[in-house]
Amino acid sequence: MITFHRYVRVLAILLMTSCVFAGTSAAQTKPDPNAAPNVFVQQVADLSLEALKNDSEVRAGNTARINQIVDDVLLPYINFEKTTRLAAGRYWKQATPEQQAALVKAFRATLARTYSGAMTKIGSSTTLKTMAFRGEADALDVVVRAEVVQTSNSQPIQLDYRLEKTPKGWKIYDINVENIWLIENYRNQFSQQISQNGIDGLIAALNQRNQK
Amino acid sequence: MHARMLRTLSGTLAVLTLAGCATQTLGPANPADPWESSNRAVYNFNDQIDKAVLKPVAEAYAFITPQPIRSCINNIFLNLGEVWSFINSSLQGRHEDALNTMGRFLLNSTMGIGGCFDLASMNGAKRIPNDFGVTLGVWGVTSGPYMVLPILGATTLRDGTGKIPDIYFNQYGYGQLIQNVDLRNSIYGFEVVERREALLTVTDTVNRTALDPYSFIRDAYLQRRRAQVRGANTEAQKLPDYENFEDVPADDKALGITPKP
Repeated sequence: MITFHRYVRVLAILLMTSCVFAGTSAAQTKPDPNAAPNVFVQQVADLSLEALKNDSEVRAGNTARINQIVDDVLLPYINFEKTTRLAAGRYWKQATPEQQAALVKAFRATLARTYSGAMTKIGSSTTLKTMAFRGEADALDVVVRAEVVQTSNSQPIQLDYRLEKTPKGWKIYDINVENIWLIENYRNQFSQQISQNGIDGLIAALNQRNQK
Repeated sequence: MHARMLRTLSGTLAVLTLAGCATQTLGPANPADPWESSNRAVYNFNDQIDKAVLKPVAEAYAFITPQPIRSCINNIFLNLGEVWSFINSSLQGRHEDALNTMGRFLLNSTMGIGGCFDLASMNGAKRIPNDFGVTLGVWGVTSGPYMVLPILGATTLRDGTGKIPDIYFNQYGYGQLIQNVDLRNSIYGFEVVERREALLTVTDTVNRTALDPYSFIRDAYLQRRRAQVRGANTEAQKLPDYENFEDVPADDKALGITPKP
């Protein structure tokens, strides 16, 4: 049994390194926010998958490390402020700028935790493939559809990204996993917490979750 | 035997409904979930059973069974479900979906060795899950209040009704093909374990990230069912409109960003 595990691990490492070499040219392309939205999403996904796949601490499920990678690699391409603002809905304006900043930070950490769960499942063969962009060329708010393939003999996971055009190019602000939009799914939870314990209560609840 | 089970079930339901009266609802009342307090009671009951029995058994199964075998078994169960999906796609007038589903079933049952290998997905024909709740929705039946059923979990009045023909066809119907009662019951039990195993990562993620797992699951379920009733082809055009909850912020206006109508 132990030798089998070791064999699998060696095989995984071999596969991973071959992936690194095969993917070098693609992985080192810096995502271009002014490219077509589907191209941009593909670049961001490749970059983050590569960063996460090749990090042993991530594979061990180290949340702090995943947070750090999300901050370093993904943050420039995501508008977390908008994600949080929309999830908070009408309560956002009731928050002070300090509360808003704290809420964005706490929610970002919560979302990074979704990665830490998924990461233990990410293998060297995990890929993300974006579909051709079907929206209008001058649209300011678009959806890019994608699929995550984990192992060859399982259903691909449908993943959609919602992006907005800013003066600095595209920014991701919402994602959809199997027909479930992230922001929409947090709205009721946010309003429950805020109506019970206020905005500080929500921030505290998110941070408490993050420490578990 | 069936009558006894029903009596026990209705007894349990009554107890749970009563217990529900003592549970507090959280936050503002949700129009989609008028029975929230009793739903939460059933949810907690299910959660306890899951923690005590289902999840540990599913984890044990995952621990002793290699991934390729679990994928194979999961695919076999999903493949058997394709026939009922096909019937429902047909009933909904979604003939392209029905044709795709039948094609998948034929290919996977033969070349895919009884559904063990999902060759159709590998060739780009994705599974189109369908059931009678969706059919009722396509026929114009509104979802009705959200419900949490004992063991079966998240549903709505409409979808819960739809579960009756679903289970009659998928579990009872196939079950009748197996003459040996012990074997049949073992397969029923195994299917439960197998389905729970397939959900292990999902439930772990929910517990890891949700502020309130009950709301998280409810809102995810309702979103997903709405999307299923609308159908895959219209899904891309139907985006949630978050801006109706707030005015366009001044800074965005200054930057010349307007939400698309």
